[in-house]
Amino acid sequence: MSQTLEQITTGVIEGNIQGIRQLIQKALEEGLKAEEILQNGLIVGMNEVGKRFKVAQMFIPEVLRAAKTMHAGQELLHPLVTDARAVRVGTIVIGTVQGDMHDIGKNLVGMMCEGAGFEVIDLGFDLSPETFTEAIKVHQPDIVGMSALLTTTMRSMGHTLKAITEAGLREKVKVMVGGAPVDAEFAARIGADGYGHNAVVGAELARKLVEAA
Amino acid sequence: MRVNRHNYEINATPRLQVLSEDQIEAIYYASLRVLYETGVRVYATEGVDVAHAGGAIVEETTARSSLVKIPPDMVDKARATVPSKVVVIGPDRRYRMELFKNQIYYGGGSDTPFTLDPYTGERRRSTYQDVKNFARIAQALPNYDFHMSLGITQDTAVGTYDRWQYLAMLEGTSKPINITAVDIEGVRDQLEMALIRVGGKDEWRKGPIFSLYIEPVSPLSHSREVVQKLLFCCDNDIPFVYTPCPLAGATAPATLAGLLVQALAESLFGIVLSQLRRPGAQIIIGGLMSNMDMLSTIYCYGSPEMALLSAAYTDITKWLRVPEYETAGCSDAKLFDEQAAMEAAINIATSGLIGGNMIHDVGYLDSGLTSCPDLMVASDEIIDMVKRILQGIEVTPDTMALDVIAEIGPGGHFMEHDHTFERFKTEIWRPKLIQRQNWENWQLAGGQRYGQRVHARVIEILESDTAPLLDEAMFKEMRRICELADARHKDEELDVKMFV
Repeated sequence: MSQTLEQITTGVIEGNIQGIRQLIQKALEEGLKAEEILQNGLIVGMNEVGKRFKVAQMFIPEVLRAAKTMHAGQELLHPLVTDARAVRVGTIVIGTVQGDMHDIGKNLVGMMCEGAGFEVIDLGFDLSPETFTEAIKVHQPDIVGMSALLTTTMRSMGHTLKAITEAGLREKVKVMVGGAPVDAEFAARIGADGYGHNAVVGAELARKLVEAA
Repeated sequence: MRVNRHNYEINATPRLQVLSEDQIEAIYYASLRVLYETGVRVYATEGVDVAHAGGAIVEETTARSSLVKIPPDMVDKARATVPSKVVVIGPDRRYRMELFKNQIYYGGGSDTPFTLDPYTGERRRSTYQDVKNFARIAQALPNYDFHMSLGITQDTAVGTYDRWQYLAMLEGTSKPINITAVDIEGVRDQLEMALIRVGGKDEWRKGPIFSLYIEPVSPLSHSREVVQKLLFCCDNDIPFVYTPCPLAGATAPATLAGLLVQALAESLFGIVLSQLRRPGAQIIIGGLMSNMDMLSTIYCYGSPEMALLSAAYTDITKWLRVPEYETAGCSDAKLFDEQAAMEAAINIATSGLIGGNMIHDVGYLDSGLTSCPDLMVASDEIIDMVKRILQGIEVTPDTMALDVIAEIGPGGHFMEHDHTFERFKTEIWRPKLIQRQNWENWQLAGGQRYGQRVHARVIEILESDTAPLLDEAMFKEMRRICELADARHKDEELDVKMFV
């Protein structure tokens, strides 16, 4: 294993955003292929972050810094890889549904998804069903993620799903939902493809949904 | 020279202080800078207009919102008219909350999506019946001074649930209620119901039977519904709670002082807007501030920071002389277990010792997602203990009992003395469910854990016969308001049943 790759792995774990670009540049100069840097450097680091988070050795702010570092590395490698999907596993459009201004959970999911290799298009909050359908047409995402904190606005998730179906877009995207009052049963009732009970699980779910597609 | 401070300061009630006056002023003036330099985002033109007319600077207006900056003199002006006391009285006029400095009142929290079923222990979506049950329990517990739903009615229409929820509460309790509302139409309907319950507008003016819970979104955002509700309350003599729920490290700075600065700026905006709309408008500022757990990402309801922040905020509101909304009796445990009892005891004691006013969320588990009747009953006893501590120790010639000590002398006993006979009941607190029997008697009584005794009390309350609080005509009239609201909003509901 190249020492530079190890440094890249450590860079991701430590969240060294400034250093990661230089390290990747160095690895490329050493003749390493973009795929190798990605697989044996960045992804190894992010997997380790996941492991440490699960046993309470790393915490959300550290995980987010690592995810940001990972993302910065991916952006650099993106033009260099032959299979773009190796770097960018998919595109996800996320937003908080109509009537709801609570976006902290949605923001967290967005950052986690970026760390998991997604291109994330964050539409914001208090979004009408039409905003979602238009975004699907424009961005052609693999996944749409909806968030709500209130039971009254959970209803908007149902309305948005209906609008997506009526616009003939339902077959084109997977839909995942989340938020404190949301649960798997509700997700099933309104016909979503998945529910993540927190941001980490949400990002894992997003990966599963694109891999299954 | 050693000075005995007690000669100068009688501290008959034990109390806690988290912030010094200097610290409070530092936080207050920092909040004024936030309001003036950073500003707040307001998503309702009517609110922006009121603020602007009152002297606020309005910038960065978009289709949905404006950035509103409040000069310090506007806050000074608002503070001159904001009431230092707010009163809410239950439909049964004996239940009275006089919210001002150091007056403590405990009550539930509202709108949890889940309930722990008292019979099966199952965690499930809460229903109309659950909300009614929680209200009945609150009615039966002497240390509950006001009530909040402790559940969202999820077997009723989703968009008009608030009216049904209020009806369920009115069926169960005649104590003051802190309601929630979907929007101002929801407030209007519930006000109409309240006027039926209390017997008209004049009675309402003598003592409003509900306050409205209003929650701006941290950081520094005041949504359309929030602003509309605030203005509606000002126009209609409705006391209201204006409580941001900032989360350290997520929707507020990770440092607790930074969170307090931000929370105060959020509340002060509510004070300014309400006093511009109607000087004297009855606002209670609060009161739910905590940290995000950096592993689970939950909003911590049982953390020491939650108790500490609430206490610090109480210090600030006492200095401001504005009634305060506070949080206690809650936990992050999933069941009523040892963690729940421990966390609730800590935050109930802290809120009592600091002298918080309207102390809500008693009965919350699971980071505010699940309500638990057992925690309500246990908290009632915890509150009772705290109130005993707050009574302090009276120190007089009589209570120092020098003559009694002299009379008994070395080696005697006090059990038969008149002084004991006369004073033990008023001096020594007596438990209700806490068990102090010796081992043998405890075993003879069934050898139950505290949790089992608490649960038995829950069932006893639920199965006791109580006279209906609403007569049939009154109930029908209020129910009609709920049904009309459902009919008006029928088309907004989903085709599928969302919950139960």
